[in-house]
Amino acid sequence: MDAPGRRSHLIPRTRDGRIATTAFLAVLLLAMPPLTHTLWNRIDPWIGGLPFLYAVLLAVYVALTAVLLWALKRGV
Amino acid sequence: METWVIATGLIFLYLLLTIVVGVVANRRLTVDMEDFLLYGRKAGFIVLYLTVVATFHSAFAFLGSGGFFYTHGVGFWAAGTWTLVVGAITYVLGPRIWALGKAFGYITPADMLADFYESEAVRVVVAVVSVLFTILYIQVQAQGLGYIINVASGGRISFELGTFILLAVAAAYLMAGGLRAVYWTDVVQGIWMYLAVWVGALVLSYELFGGPLALWRSVAAERPDLLSLPGPHGFFTPGMWIGMTVALSFGIIFQPHMMIRYYTAIDGRTLKVLGATTPIYLMTLYIPAALVGLGGAVAMPGLDVPDRIFPELLFAHASPWVTGAILAGATAAAMSTLDSILHANMTVLTRDVYQRYVAKDRSQAHYVAVGRAIVVGLLVVGYLLSVRTYEFLVVLVTLSGAGALQLMPAIVGVCFPGRRVLTRAGVLAGIGAGLAGLYVTLVLVPHPMGVHGAVWSLLVNAAVALNVSTMSTPPSPQTIERVHGEVERYVYGTEA
Repeated sequence: MDAPGRRSHLIPRTRDGRIATTAFLAVLLLAMPPLTHTLWNRIDPWIGGLPFLYAVLLAVYVALTAVLLWALKRGV
Repeated sequence: METWVIATGLIFLYLLLTIVVGVVANRRLTVDMEDFLLYGRKAGFIVLYLTVVATFHSAFAFLGSGGFFYTHGVGFWAAGTWTLVVGAITYVLGPRIWALGKAFGYITPADMLADFYESEAVRVVVAVVSVLFTILYIQVQAQGLGYIINVASGGRISFELGTFILLAVAAAYLMAGGLRAVYWTDVVQGIWMYLAVWVGALVLSYELFGGPLALWRSVAAERPDLLSLPGPHGFFTPGMWIGMTVALSFGIIFQPHMMIRYYTAIDGRTLKVLGATTPIYLMTLYIPAALVGLGGAVAMPGLDVPDRIFPELLFAHASPWVTGAILAGATAAAMSTLDSILHANMTVLTRDVYQRYVAKDRSQAHYVAVGRAIVVGLLVVGYLLSVRTYEFLVVLVTLSGAGALQLMPAIVGVCFPGRRVLTRAGVLAGIGAGLAGLYVTLVLVPHPMGVHGAVWSLLVNAAVALNVSTMSTPPSPQTIERVHGEVERYVYGTEA
């Protein structure tokens, strides 16, 4: 059934909401195939004493956490 | 003093502490279903934070994850991905579920879905799915507890007896204090397990390798196959990576013991803060797990049961007191999930089955008493399931998660007003098709084309739900307006 009177909640309505959603999804893609199984899939070079794949994913996870905290701060 | 005496003694000391907490919680309890089942909808940030993370991380985080790193290598670092997705889901979905629960008095996931889809069939199906798949999860936790106490006691306490003791303690404090006891013990458990896994991993990495960075170097030198994808046994294919991310994020969040937590928050803002910050705890717990699993693969290769790598390393290389404290932390990890699942199943069976279909208009005290009796029944079922099968922990968790995942289209249909509305027929058909798809893609033809069965089943579910909804009767306009209007008002502060 269609409910034409109501705006969809699946698409963010505010600018901050759109930024947070896009940023989260974009950064999440960095922790997903194919990147994980191609570009990131190596031991060298070591970063901060950690193998490359592990270190890159750790950086991505920190970035995703930062996006969530930014969204919270902006009241998204 | 021998190691096993200290280790077992500390575990029993920890159990005593949880019982004391349960007794104290009992003194605060009022004979009221919302208080017994939902903490009176008054859970603040700290309590909610620690109960959510402690419940999410289970025996699986302590034993299964170490075993997985040990066997399949760095691919299990994908765990970070699903913990971040869990945070995002909580951030977006949690406040909506809270708002609807507060407005309409929902206690279980089935309350919400049956109300919106105007269907008792939906209530029954959701309740059955909720209980069926989380009972599997009771088995996982109880088996983890059995392993821990069996290892801690050096085999002197059998797996079966250990499982029974720990199940009984969890059931006892749940019956005494309801969800308040679960939450308060989770606070202790959440702190203890986090410290334990970090301290244990660091102690072992310094003892065996001279520190975490030296550990990574040793793994690279001796087992480089563990540091790349898809891992030594080819497990972490792209399809499995994506599938485990979906199953262990959405699939776990939609299990009743997690969803019910959203109802219990003191306000919606608390859930947003929770969503933004829980990944910090959840994700960083897998850092020491990687040290244990990967370091263990170098230091102690060839274990028959990889899930035992953490306790085996502790017994071989750590002091008795450290070993005991950490195994008590492992016990905490398993019990904090177990008590929540027992509580959720009790809640679903009391609310969605007993109160609805067996005895409608009884006193609050009557339903609380019935809830306690149901816990005893669950204890027996959980024990029997636990001692009769021995499966690999992570695989069971994945199966459980994939089952609850089938509620996803129905829940999204309630919480995210859109241009298309799902119908009761669509939701029921979708759940049915999804469960059938799950059986095919996890049991008959596991993970077709290298893609996890959870993904296949969810795709089938969503496609069927959407298509059947286009040709069946939707909820009444009044219900749609009432429920979706409440979401609209809560999220945007406006009418449509």
